[in-house]
Amino acid sequence: MAKPIQLSPKDMINAYLLFFVVHGAQIGVGIQGFQRIIYQDARQDAWISVLLAGIATHLVTFCMIKTLEIYGSDDLYGIQIDIFGKWIGNFLNAIYVIYCSVAFFSVLRNYIEVIQAWIFPSIETWFLSATLLIIIIYAFTGGLRVIVGVSFFSIILSLWIFPMLVFPMEYATVDSLLPILENDIRSILKGAQSMTFTIIGFEILNVIYPFVKDKKKIRKPVHLGLLVTTIIYLAVMLVSIAYYSEGKLLKTIWATLTLFSFISFPFMERFEFVAVCFWMLIILPNLCLYLWAAYRGAIRLFPISEKTFVWLFSFIVLIGTLLVQTRTQINTINTVFGQIAFYVIFVYPILLWPIARLKKNFASKKVKKNE
Amino acid sequence: MKFKLPFNKQQQQPVQEAPKENLVRVAHATDHFIQSIKNATNNPADLIVKYLPPNVTLIYIDNLIDDQTLNNDIIANLQSKPHDTPEAIEMALSIAEVSQSSLLRETVELMVNGHVVIHIGGFPQTILANIASRESRALSAPENESQVIGTQVGFNESLSTNISLIRRYIVSPNLCNEKVKIGTRTSTSVSLLYMRGIANDQMVQTMRQRIKDLYIDELIDSAVLAEMIDDNSLSVFPQMLLTERPDRFCDGILDGKIGVLVDGSSMAIVSPQGFTEFFQSQEDQNLRWQIATFLRLLRLAAFFLSVYLTPFYVAALTFHYEVIPQAFLVPLSESRALVPFPPIFEALLLEFIIELLREAGARLPTKIGQTIGIVGGIVIGTAAVQAGITSNILLIIIALSALASFTSPSYMMGNVIRLIRFPIIILAGFWGFYGIMLAFCFILIHLLRQSSLGAPYMSPFYPPRLKEMRDSIIRMPVPLTSKRPALTRPKDEHKFVPEPVKPDKS
Repeated sequence: MAKPIQLSPKDMINAYLLFFVVHGAQIGVGIQGFQRIIYQDARQDAWISVLLAGIATHLVTFCMIKTLEIYGSDDLYGIQIDIFGKWIGNFLNAIYVIYCSVAFFSVLRNYIEVIQAWIFPSIETWFLSATLLIIIIYAFTGGLRVIVGVSFFSIILSLWIFPMLVFPMEYATVDSLLPILENDIRSILKGAQSMTFTIIGFEILNVIYPFVKDKKKIRKPVHLGLLVTTIIYLAVMLVSIAYYSEGKLLKTIWATLTLFSFISFPFMERFEFVAVCFWMLIILPNLCLYLWAAYRGAIRLFPISEKTFVWLFSFIVLIGTLLVQTRTQINTINTVFGQIAFYVIFVYPILLWPIARLKKNFASKKVKKNE
Repeated sequence: MKFKLPFNKQQQQPVQEAPKENLVRVAHATDHFIQSIKNATNNPADLIVKYLPPNVTLIYIDNLIDDQTLNNDIIANLQSKPHDTPEAIEMALSIAEVSQSSLLRETVELMVNGHVVIHIGGFPQTILANIASRESRALSAPENESQVIGTQVGFNESLSTNISLIRRYIVSPNLCNEKVKIGTRTSTSVSLLYMRGIANDQMVQTMRQRIKDLYIDELIDSAVLAEMIDDNSLSVFPQMLLTERPDRFCDGILDGKIGVLVDGSSMAIVSPQGFTEFFQSQEDQNLRWQIATFLRLLRLAAFFLSVYLTPFYVAALTFHYEVIPQAFLVPLSESRALVPFPPIFEALLLEFIIELLREAGARLPTKIGQTIGIVGGIVIGTAAVQAGITSNILLIIIALSALASFTSPSYMMGNVIRLIRFPIIILAGFWGFYGIMLAFCFILIHLLRQSSLGAPYMSPFYPPRLKEMRDSIIRMPVPLTSKRPALTRPKDEHKFVPEPVKPDKS
């Protein structure tokens, strides 16, 4: 077995903080406009798709934790090398690093697009990209403790956004949700699959697992985090379906932001201007955690210092954000990435678990024979 | 990203081989001895040499000693009957702190600390009697941290007075007091105070090490020391509390914190200190918990208001007109109709004026300071609006945020609030809400990265300790806050065994 990661207690985090890590990594840019994509497939039953996707995350996480527990104190990168050997293992690790990088890129590019579309049409892409990257580098170089802290504050400080859903309810009608289960199972499942891009993020568990202090206690916070995410998505979906008239949802790219756009207070109108900017705090944990996960994998592939990695990575991402410019390109990236992520996040862990078990049984028998 | 510090905290003390003058002994002959003392002290005007026949010589520095004690307890005793050995003289003196020395350097060092040197012709040693008297002002109310309810006494500049104040609050043999001399030229006394059995040993050791590792030539005030022993000296946020209130100091020490007093400074250092604790006042402990909670929330709101209100105005007026409610748009545009500048310039100008007023008020004597405040505040304010340089509404906002910044009980933190506003205004002026959010995230990450004496700065919020939030931005009743904060990693976690909040009255 590969040597487990050696960590000092100072780098470790408490198990209950995983709630914030998992939840913070899941909610990001997806929630701003996931309704349209699901609605395309499942129509008014889209909320069932969301529910199914939520249940799927619990199942996948169950398998993930089982796999990780076999190895005790190792992350996915170590497990893959142990199971598949040096070459295939490293190849899979490289894929995972690239996956994390693309996820990072996708979140960043989507957020930049939202800012340009909603607030500053004239502001340069490179400027938004560079400023966000600087903030992320600052958080990343603070270490895992700071990254988890960012996730924590990101959730605590954005709690106030959730009750804003009450405002559109005034104009919502339950009739839009009826008839229930009119669409066939295939289209509902297809809708659930389309949720991938929005609901991923919990795979960070694969990498953060060795850094948790009391590993036996992780189930509760992790599943609670997933549950809260599912509830939030479900609530947003239900309100959206009830609020928008039929077909309107198909034409709205950022349905959640449009929901916000008519909320007004005595001291503030056009709430979405604040919301879009405030979203920076919500995507911050996404970006930091994916960057960190990519870094954990990269140091296994080749020796690279933290500083070199983060600057190189940021430079490549900066170039990337400049190359992808139009809405169509971004949409294509989201769709393709969502499909790949479906296999990486939802299918692969379920396959990995039995393989890890077999390998372990095999190894222990071998040891017994040798004795 | 680690910046190189301007000075190295872990600086190695240059290895000093004991110089020859350290080992020079005290001379036998009286003339020779007096000359060597004069040479060592550069023959100052206030060096007094007094002969007591037949062979005793007294040497002291006039301004450092208590004349009455010298006359009554030393000279009178020595004159009454002749003494011929050092031991006999030591017995004869009615002074508590008397020592003998045979080294010239030690003799001189103690003499400049306020000891009287007694030399007997023919003996190669001196007798040193401590009768130092230091000038210090009387105790007075703390001026920078005044409070309505609570003790009205502040530290003064004398280390021994300050320690006696603390010992009056904490009557316990477990109050440890370690003395260190800092500064190669000033050799300032620094006292390290903590409670044995509460304070974490590792933290005490860290603090002790940080102070001892300093290799500087002068130390005039504790604020300098605080900056040098901070975890991150480059951060704008202070990580150690400077207080002039003995009650606050003692409260910290009883929570397991470590206090540092510097001779000649009326401010004491308390560490480790969390970010939220800078917004707590000692008065909160003396008030009912509902009122204390209200005041703490008020101060927190004032912090956010002070930092973000002006940037919000600038951002909304520059980029996001849509955010301003329709009813408010008319008075706002009316008030801004005459103003020729963009909002960012207008705001920076007014902020600058108010900072000028504050600085002028702080530097001038109290009486003139008040006048300047009225002249500056009312006259300049009204005139600026009438001249059309600024709008009325911005004037209100700026005055409000200036007012709010002074609610912070720690003057150091108030300064930080006033300073960080400027970059945020500039960001808001160029990139609107996006710029404000950028600054917000940056400050959040910055605060998360800091530590105070190795303890997390954002405690008890991060790492989250739900039970400790009872005494953070709110204050719950005393029975519910019976645990010491985990920030200090205390050895004894419980202050007392809590009783029911509402005991049944029999």
